[in-house]
Amino acid sequence: MSGPALVHVVVSGLATGCIYALVALSLVIVYNATRTVNFAQGEMLMVSAFVAWSAQHTAGLPLLAAVACGVAAGGLLAFLVERAIIRRAVSATHWDVLIITLGLSLALRAAAGIVWTNEELPFPALFSNRPVAIGPVRVAPVSLGVIGASLVLMLALVALFRATRFGRAMRAVAQNQTAARLMGISVERVYSGAWVLAAVVGGVAGVLIAPVTFLSTKMGLIAINGFTAAVLGGFGSLPGAVAGGMLLGVIENLAPLYLPTGIRYSVPFLVMIAILVARPRGLFGSLERRKV
Amino acid sequence: MRAAAWALGGVAALGWPLVAPRYFVFLATLVAVNAVVAIGLNLLSGYTNQLSFGHAGFLAIGAYTAAILTLRAPALPVPLTLLAAGLVTALVGLALGIPCLRLDGLYLAMATLAFGFVVTEAITNLDWLTRGNDGLRVPLARLGPWVLDTDRARYYLALAVAAAMILAALNVAATRTGRAFLAIRASEIAAQASGINAAAYKTVAFVLSAFYTGVAGGLFAFVVGFLSPDAFDVFLSVDFLVMIILGGLGSVWGSVAGAAIVTVLNDSLAGFQAYRPLIFGAIMIACMLFAPGGLAAMTRRQS
Repeated sequence: MSGPALVHVVVSGLATGCIYALVALSLVIVYNATRTVNFAQGEMLMVSAFVAWSAQHTAGLPLLAAVACGVAAGGLLAFLVERAIIRRAVSATHWDVLIITLGLSLALRAAAGIVWTNEELPFPALFSNRPVAIGPVRVAPVSLGVIGASLVLMLALVALFRATRFGRAMRAVAQNQTAARLMGISVERVYSGAWVLAAVVGGVAGVLIAPVTFLSTKMGLIAINGFTAAVLGGFGSLPGAVAGGMLLGVIENLAPLYLPTGIRYSVPFLVMIAILVARPRGLFGSLERRKV
Repeated sequence: MRAAAWALGGVAALGWPLVAPRYFVFLATLVAVNAVVAIGLNLLSGYTNQLSFGHAGFLAIGAYTAAILTLRAPALPVPLTLLAAGLVTALVGLALGIPCLRLDGLYLAMATLAFGFVVTEAITNLDWLTRGNDGLRVPLARLGPWVLDTDRARYYLALAVAAAMILAALNVAATRTGRAFLAIRASEIAAQASGINAAAYKTVAFVLSAFYTGVAGGLFAFVVGFLSPDAFDVFLSVDFLVMIILGGLGSVWGSVAGAAIVTVLNDSLAGFQAYRPLIFGAIMIACMLFAPGGLAAMTRRQS
């Protein structure tokens, strides 16, 4: 395969990877705060994308405003779900929350099918799909746009976690919940904030991927790739989630070139099993020792 | 009282095909098959506190093993076919379980989820063996000179297998392995401190769970008569989880009750496909919020 063509594949892999990275980030944000995984994260980003579609299509808002509406709706949904359902179960074992979010993912997907449709809908493109030449290399603006938008969001997250009071509170809760509580941090507010923040990050991923994969009730399955990405980077690590997402995106885009077509769709799952079996703490993670 | 309940239940189960219409005999057969899966899943989740999202994959392996075996060796008596289906699935469970031992709850759940996807993809692509997406027609089960070609015959087959597996699961505490499971369920740390090799027993639970599901898969193949990979998607695995959550983690009779309710509900909601996951999702959330031990805990509290 020629060099420029390979670059094209890698760049589109990085674009897919950015989306996986955002989904992975949203999973890790909730995990770090609450020590549980939100299985409905994928369905929540699906809701964001559907709301954005409705805002543009039915309410006639301009595309960017519609996208903002969708993302905000995702945040609101997360806030309500956390307050009304999850918080009642937080005191119980983490299985409870896991199963609740699993139930939620079923319910949200079905509800979206009822409110909107079970068919695939075209989602308006934020960026053009027609490749442009940069020197000898041809890349699609959509790849660059997705990568750019994701990087901006990731930088904003870095700023949030490093420079704001709320971000520092989130990091404190991730490190040690009891100590954070003793320092006067409202852990409940951090839970709530983590859910909303995760939904916003996921919602952006949703509106970025929807033009590429079409809008459908099945788009929540992207959360599996997000989880694989997060595991690749060591679950719980935010930079790891980003690196894992990019890596998975590139692997997934390169794999069809070298592997028989049959196993193409299994690639993310095979990567997940391999990484869980060989390095459960992720590629960059170190062994976490838990005291009895 | 207890003996009377057993006798009544036995008579009802044996007499069902004599009084019920044909379709309800088929439905009851499915309940028996699903009950075996639910018990198998509960051995894993109830005793060793590990969730699996991949039991549809195990079911598929059992079903395809039984179907392919019957195609190649039509004279094989059905108990042997089912045993083979269980053993092959248990072997796959062992191969998956050993490396997955290093994983704690959440990671195991995700690994099994990935396993389920890989199994359906593998079935789709190994079309020389499984006929892929075209689907595989399963020959009739045979038991010596008898051909199990009626719903009633298949019902009694499923009932006999389910009864044997329910009895085995109820009496698991009579064995050393079963007592180790109970100890691990009570407290993994305390069990380890008492000299129980928790890692080894967790693998045993995994393999046993796969065996149950594989046998159920074999039954499923004969009951349904036609297999295709899309029947074994992740949502089927979730259905199994709903059964044990609704029935109660760690309860054998809860698993049976959960299997019965979910199977019948699935059937009665067949005309409302869009609402089915909504209802199942709501059941899961409601169980966790209001009835954490499922049906089993509810009846225990009342008695």
